[in-house]
Parts: sequence; C-alpha cells; structure tokens
Amino acid sequence: MDDRAARYLDAGSVQQRVRLLGGKEVLLDKEGFLWRPEDWTEGVAEALAAESGIETLSDEQWRVIRFLREYFSYYGRAPLNKDLKAGLNMSIMELECLFPEGIRRGARRVAGLPNPRMCSG
Amino acid sequence: MIYLDNAATTFPKPASVLNRMLEKYLGMGVSPGRGSYDLATEAEAFVDDTRSRAAKFFGAPDPERVIFTSNATDALNIALQGMLKPGDHVVSTRLEHNSVLRPLYHLRLKGIIEYDLAPFDGSGFVDPSEIAAMIRPNTRLVVMTHASNVLGTVQRVSQVGEVCANAGVPLLIDAAQTAGVIPIDMGAWGLAGIAFTGHKSMLGPTGIGGLILSPETEIEPVRFGGTGVDSASPVHTETFPHRLECGTLNLLGIIGLYEAFSFLERETMESIRRREMALLSRLRDGLSRVSGVTLYCAEDLADHVGLLTANIRGMDPGKVGAILDGDFEIAVRVGLHCAPLVHESLATAPEGGVRFSLGPFNTEEDVDRAAFAMAEIANAVGRC
Repeated sequence: MDDRAARYLDAGSVQQRVRLLGGKEVLLDKEGFLWRPEDWTEGVAEALAAESGIETLSDEQWRVIRFLREYFSYYGRAPLNKDLKAGLNMSIMELECLFPEGIRRGARRVAGLPNPRMCSG
Repeated sequence: MIYLDNAATTFPKPASVLNRMLEKYLGMGVSPGRGSYDLATEAEAFVDDTRSRAAKFFGAPDPERVIFTSNATDALNIALQGMLKPGDHVVSTRLEHNSVLRPLYHLRLKGIIEYDLAPFDGSGFVDPSEIAAMIRPNTRLVVMTHASNVLGTVQRVSQVGEVCANAGVPLLIDAAQTAGVIPIDMGAWGLAGIAFTGHKSMLGPTGIGGLILSPETEIEPVRFGGTGVDSASPVHTETFPHRLECGTLNLLGIIGLYEAFSFLERETMESIRRREMALLSRLRDGLSRVSGVTLYCAEDLADHVGLLTANIRGMDPGKVGAILDGDFEIAVRVGLHCAPLVHESLATAPEGGVRFSLGPFNTEEDVDRAAFAMAEIANAVGRC
C-alpha cells in the first residue's frame, strides 16, 4: 500500500468535523466547507474568511458573497463563470484575485455554498 | 470557445461520424444477434465487421478477441480483475491514470495481489530496464500506459514488450491517449492486451471502447449474464467475444466506432498527428516565452502526443483554469488529471497543473490565443 493511498483511505473522503466559528457550532467537511447550509451566518463567513487570510471582508467581497448566496438560493446551484461575470460585472481574473483561495475554494466556502467537489483529479 | 481539453474527450466529433451513426441506427437499431429476424442478423454482422476493423487497426490476430466495453477504464477493469489471481504480482508505473491505479489498489486491498510501480525519468519516460528489474518469479502482468495523460510522453512499449517476452510475463497497455493517433501493433509489440476508448483520438462517441486480447491471454469473466448464445446453460458462455461481454451491446457506439475507423482511414492518423504535433510545438514555444510559466517534460516533443501541462508560478491551477474559461473562453483541464502519482513525482500535488490538449480541429490561432491568455494571467500574478 503506498502511503498516499493509505492516508487518503484513513482520512475518508467525506470526513466531517464540528467547530466553533463566529460564536456558532458548525459542521464542516474535511475541506472546510459547511456541511449544513443552515449553519451559515455573517459571523461564520467572517471567521471562514479570516482563516483564508482575509482580515476584514470588504464591501466588494460581501457583494460577491451575497450574489453567490442569492444565486444558489434561486437556482439551486452555484453560478457558472459566465453567470458570475454577468451578475457581478467583474472579470473572473478580478474575482479570483479578490479571494486568496479563489472563487471555488474561497468565495464559495465563505458564502456557505456546498463543496463543489469538482473533478480536479 | 477554444476547446483544448481533447485528452478528456475530443470535441467536436467529425460530423460525418455523427451523421452516419444516426442514419445507420435509424435503419438498424435492433439488438444485434439476439433475434432470428434479418435485421438482427444484419446488426450482428455489422458488429462483427467492426470487430474485424478494430483487430486490423490494432494489429490483433483474432477479431473474436475484440471485446466491446464502455471505455478504457471499463476494459482495464475487465482485464485486471479477469487476469489476476491470488498471490500474483504486477508491475506498473507511476505514470498511470487512476483507471489502472485504482483497480490495482482495490485488488491489493482485498489481499489478492501485490504490485510495484516503476518511476519515470525527468523527461517523462519509464526506462524499460526499471520494469525488468521489478519483475519477480510470481509477476503475472505488466500493465502500463502507452502515453501519459499528464505529460503526453509516449512510452517505449515495444521495448517493454521485449522485456516481458523474455520474462514470460503478459503486457497490457492502456491506449486511452494513443489509440487513433499513434499506430499500435499488438502482434509486433508482443502485447497480451490493449485497452482503448472510442471517444478520444479515435474521434468516436463516448460510451464505447474495447479490450483487445491476444489468443494466448488467459482471462476469466468478471461479469455474467445474457449473451444470446447457449441460453439454456446456467454457465456463462466460454467462447470469445461473448465470454467477456454480457447484456445488449452498445450498437450506437459500435456504429460510431466503425465510422471513426472510416474517418481515420480517410484523414490518416499520420496527417492528424503531424498537424497536432506542429500545433503542440507552437504552443510549447509560445508558453516557453511567457515569464512565470513552468512546463513539464516538454523540452523534446518527438515522442509525445498532442498535450502538455503547465503551471503559472504563484497561482493555483484551479484559478488559472477558471480565468482561461471565464475571461478568455479557453477550455482546459486543471488539477491532478486522475493521475495523482505523476503530480506527486512532479511536486505539483495537490493542486496539479493546467493541461492543454489538442485535437484535429484546433488551429494556430487557438494555440496562439492560449499562449497570449497565459501571458496575461502570468502578468497579473503580482497584482493578485
């Protein structure tokens, strides 16, 4: 058994953990995405953002977070790149640069959207 | 959109292939070989013709050892689970896709096999002598990719075939990235098996692939069911190809494969490859001029297929891929490319890289725009 496989197997692909964030007990998956959407609060968002290196969320970052949440609430899925551009009137480059961990792993996580589990493998 | 994800699946497919699929299926879309009526017999004959074309295409001696599968992963699963027995040892490589790594890992986890993985060198090639050194008395199979889906390096399979022949060990190759663009000769290379898919460089549809076996290859079925042959028996049919096929075949896919062979015969693999490699060279040169771009194993493209992987220093490949898509309308594949050990060896894990893969319908303008886009993104790293 190679070490990498063993580590992955031990960790489990959907490992969950309970944490106290923004004064609230939340359930996170192993990549730090909220497991229960209802756990999201602005305080949780600020705590998640702080962990990704954002000391204080700017107005621009809050605009992105609110757009992501509203879009997800309405369509039941995260916006595509073209939806983000149209809805926020920003380039993807600007958006990716706005969050240290980018859109998929950064903005979406702070906004409390589900883990995209994109096929990056 | 500029589509540079042809190593995942070629897009678009030739219109002639798709049109003929529809036309043929409209007239013959019945269950091949399952009825006594003429159309079922005609459909079965068509399936057999496609087996013969596949055998000829891959230099295989027996069309009845052409097994239709869903894709290369399916073919590899049938082969690995059907060929290996408790106590067997397998040699493979660190270049493999999860289509090989995961079945091997599964079999090891179940306590059925042990395996060793040969490393690749700084240019992306596995030295056949590394494989020879790993062969043990109980080694029952060498399985390896013909071309890396991350690096594009075409492996020295015929030399590995000699190693295996000398050791009396069967050699199975994963031809997912080469079938349709690199000539493969089962007989001359001493291959026990070839796993291929129809939807990449073969230019056929998704959902069809194949496992081609040499007549000497010993394999047990791992799936059982209806074959249209000897239906009274509770025992699954032992004769090939039905021994490894069950359920109604994907006739639409098989028609697509047949038409893909026709397309490749008309256009010729040589001319498609020549064109793709000229574009790859142009892309490599364009990316090489971009400050901040790292290319992997792309110094010499002589033994490559039309793909390469790059990174922009200081930017996650996931971000690069999103920007290429959203701002430049360029589709690429980012991440680990289902080949985690390649990225581990390149020290690009866990983020992976940005893979550009070319197809027969790409143009010089496509690759120039890709290089331009990468330069724009690289320029933004300091500001991002």
